Amino acid sequence: MKIVIVGNGVAGVTCAMTARQRDPHAEITIVGGETDYFFSRTALMYSFMDRMTRRDLEPYERKAYAEQRIALRRDWVIDHHADAKTVHLSSGATLSYDKLVLALGATPNRFGWEGINDVKEGLVHFVSMQDLDACERLTPSTREAIVVGGGLIGIELVESLLHHGIKVTFLIREPYYWPVALGREEGDIVTEQLRAHGVDVRYMEEMKRIEVDAAGRVSGVLTNKGETIPCQMLGICVGVRPSIDRLKAFTDPPQLSRGVVVDETLQSSLPDVFACGDCAEIQPIEGRSYIEMIWYSAKRQGRHVAANLFGDQLRYAPPIFFNSSKFFEVEYTTVGEVMSLPEGTPTLFRKHPTKPLCQRILHNGDRVLGFNMLGSRWNHEILERWIRERRSPAWVVAQLADAQFDVEFGRANLASCIQRELPLAKELSR
Amino acid sequence: MIRRTAAGLFLHDLKNRGLSAWTLSLLLIAFYGILYFGQYYWTPDNPCTDNASCYSEGAVCEAGACLRESRIERGQDWLYRTATVHIDELGWKLGASVDAAARPDGTLARDENKNGLIDNWEHFGNRWTVYGMLYTLGILLGGAWICFKYRHNRYQIVRTGVVMMVQTSFAFSLPILLKFFHKPEYYFSYMWPLKIDYLDPRNFAYYGEGLVLWGFFASLAVVPVMTLLYGKRWYCSWVCGCGGLANTFGEPWRHLSNKSSNAWKFEKVAIYTVMGVAFFSTALWFASAVLPESSSLHAAATGTRKWYGLVVTASLSGAIGTGLYPLGGTRVWCRNFCPMAAFLGIIQKLGRFRIRVKKEMCISCGLCSKYCEMGIDVRSYAQAGLSFTRASCVGCGMCAEVCPRGVLRLENSAKVDPQDLSLVSFLDESWKGAASSVAAKI
Ligand SMILES: Cc1cc2nc3c(=O)[nH]c(=O)nc-3n(C[C@H](O)[C@H](O)[C@H](O)COP(=O)(O)OP(=O)(O)OC[C@H]3O[C@@H](n4cnc5c(N)ncnc54)[C@H](O)[C@@H]3O)c2cc1C
Ligand code: SF4
Ligand code: SF4
Repeated sequence: MKIVIVGNGVAGVTCAMTARQRDPHAEITIVGGETDYFFSRTALMYSFMDRMTRRDLEPYERKAYAEQRIALRRDWVIDHHADAKTVHLSSGATLSYDKLVLALGATPNRFGWEGINDVKEGLVHFVSMQDLDACERLTPSTREAIVVGGGLIGIELVESLLHHGIKVTFLIREPYYWPVALGREEGDIVTEQLRAHGVDVRYMEEMKRIEVDAAGRVSGVLTNKGETIPCQMLGICVGVRPSIDRLKAFTDPPQLSRGVVVDETLQSSLPDVFACGDCAEIQPIEGRSYIEMIWYSAKRQGRHVAANLFGDQLRYAPPIFFNSSKFFEVEYTTVGEVMSLPEGTPTLFRKHPTKPLCQRILHNGDRVLGFNMLGSRWNHEILERWIRERRSPAWVVAQLADAQFDVEFGRANLASCIQRELPLAKELSR
Repeated sequence: MIRRTAAGLFLHDLKNRGLSAWTLSLLLIAFYGILYFGQYYWTPDNPCTDNASCYSEGAVCEAGACLRESRIERGQDWLYRTATVHIDELGWKLGASVDAAARPDGTLARDENKNGLIDNWEHFGNRWTVYGMLYTLGILLGGAWICFKYRHNRYQIVRTGVVMMVQTSFAFSLPILLKFFHKPEYYFSYMWPLKIDYLDPRNFAYYGEGLVLWGFFASLAVVPVMTLLYGKRWYCSWVCGCGGLANTFGEPWRHLSNKSSNAWKFEKVAIYTVMGVAFFSTALWFASAVLPESSSLHAAATGTRKWYGLVVTASLSGAIGTGLYPLGGTRVWCRNFCPMAAFLGIIQKLGRFRIRVKKEMCISCGLCSKYCEMGIDVRSYAQAGLSFTRASCVGCGMCAEVCPRGVLRLENSAKVDPQDLSLVSFLDESWKGAASSVAAKI
């Protein structure tokens, strides 16, 4: 069997490795246009900050691919013929397949800001290896930078730029940091962190117009408050969308919507064509379609597709949601439906009087629904189990220490946290 | 990307095998060369009464002076002589000043003590005192830096605090005090097979039966029990001076350890070879002690002593182990050659220590592998969601510290986890079978 995987990100490579375990004889080829080898996108910032070399970002030793007999091709797939079952590469080569997996990942969003078409230099994103190249090229000639968009990638870019001694202004449209995932109180803790590190963070302030100098390099940004902030580098981190632009030019594209539309077995509208990871828009039989744009899901979906390539017809169902991140020194763990809960959901909010340490336990009076933990380490496996077991909020608070995952001798002191009832406030509407 | 400030460029160069790193490495190796091999060219004619009083010089007592065979063999060399004389003299002065502080009237400087013996100045203070002081200083200054840098991490603070205390007391002050009171120079923080002399019958008379018994008890009872309970970390990163220096002064270079699977293969061959040699040598020394003088075993025992000292102690643990910090990372010795580490590692695999991995939470960033001083590819376990125990892991806790997603935790638990690392065993989960068969054996 010939398996061709487009995209050498985590979804594609996990799929290939899993497929190899399943079938020792399959011919497996991964085509990826971005880099020669799979690298960890999540660690881009550590390379930017000189904590790792680019080679260190590669999760597998290079010889592992040969050992697993997975052929790697550095190329872009630019066309697809469904009847002939072939894909065409930008180098002119053609690959035929029995099963095709699209693991195309995501592309940064750009909106139609005034002046954006005049920009020739100084505008960056922070998603691909080429973005990192651009950031590194511009850093030495940058004293002031502006980062637009208050999400996870934005704050990582801010941290990296600070490391290089650049003065950063952080423009965030929302009233506080990352309201889609954090409550107001957690958001405020992150704001404190940002300010303590010298970031000029501005909420409810948006970019209106991009100014450029004579050479076309970004020179400043006019905000909706009427102020022009000077900068030599502009980081745009306003979310990502599935990388389906190339597919639109295919002879036989699969059905596309926001992403590559797949059913619950991760199969697209075309026979023997699958999709997984950031590019897959999953359309359940009933209910709304969704795209999971996180590392863990990409990995899980990659494994899932690998099984279905061999006809397993497994239906993909995401487990209880979890995620984690780190805002400067403050670690963050979330489990359960925090994002999707409506404003006003009752929560037990526990906060240390002085330290950036808090826990939010969301519940419906009867059982816990989710956790948002900031400032210490938590075992999401246990928190997840409590949600599944429909534990009461009082029970969970009593057992909370069992789920701590801090280093030895370094357990966060939960007893010193002050607990209060606090309905979830999102303040999304201005 | 490197920070384009002068300090940034220099630090990058020093930490990433640049010119300054090579220079520092050469200087360190030269320092060790003089320290260890200088004595083969020049020996102070220390006054002595018996072989025991020449022990710390590794020499024999002849006509009232400590004399070394090699001195006769090789003659003298002005470079080594000057360097060694100066270092020794510095040590002498150090010893003298301690003594002067203790005995303000200065009367006992070269007087007879109450047992009628002459004080052996050169034994009290010599180049090893200078070395010990520099070493201790490295651990104290580096340790203070670690405590500051990782001030948010209590494990690092407690661990570093203990290492600093053990170094200043058991590994530096106490041996000097012991000499001061005319007791054998004994380092309670070291034990066989790292300090292989402690179970060498030749030295039993010098140490006396109390210390010899302690030596046996420490190596054969304390070490295994502690390691079964807490893993080898109790020794390698809480007590041992080699580990102590690596984790304090060596901090800037910890990430240089080689993470490739080939490096792991080399490690396994090298470290178990040295362990074998250490065990074999000890057995030989015991055999030669009980067999008659004329036995050819005797010559073999003398030969192994000399070569073990030269190759393992002086070259591998000293010159290469520390000298290569700026090029090969801080644990070259501990990872590849230390017989104690090999011994502890085997016990660790049977014990309770493990690194617990939270399932599915790893983002494969690789910081854990990068900053593992033992060159363990921690990421390969973490991204597979598998808790693990590796023989070489010294439990420094740095993988857990740097992990931005809080995936890893060091713990002592009763569970048996995979020992093997191969992509295939992770993918097909065959390690589970291996783990359960280990469980069945215990
Ligand atoms: C800076 C940053 C930090 C992040 N941090 C986290 C985090 O902490 N936690 C988390 O859960 N998630 C994080 N994410 C998200 C996570 O990285 C993604 O969800 C994950 O990488 C998706 O994997 P993927 O395999 O679907 O796609 P990708 O990793 O994007 O891989 C797709 C690859 O396919 C290539 N490709 C696309 N089209 C073609 C074509 N036509 N021909 C050939 N090749 C093609 C692309 O160039 C790309 O290399 C982060 C993302 C970024 C950018
Ligand atoms: S695995 Fe972790 S604890 Fe063990 S030596 Fe490496 S960094 Fe230290
Ligand atoms: S540091 Fe943490 S997240 Fe990164 S690879 Fe290691 S275990 Fe995974």
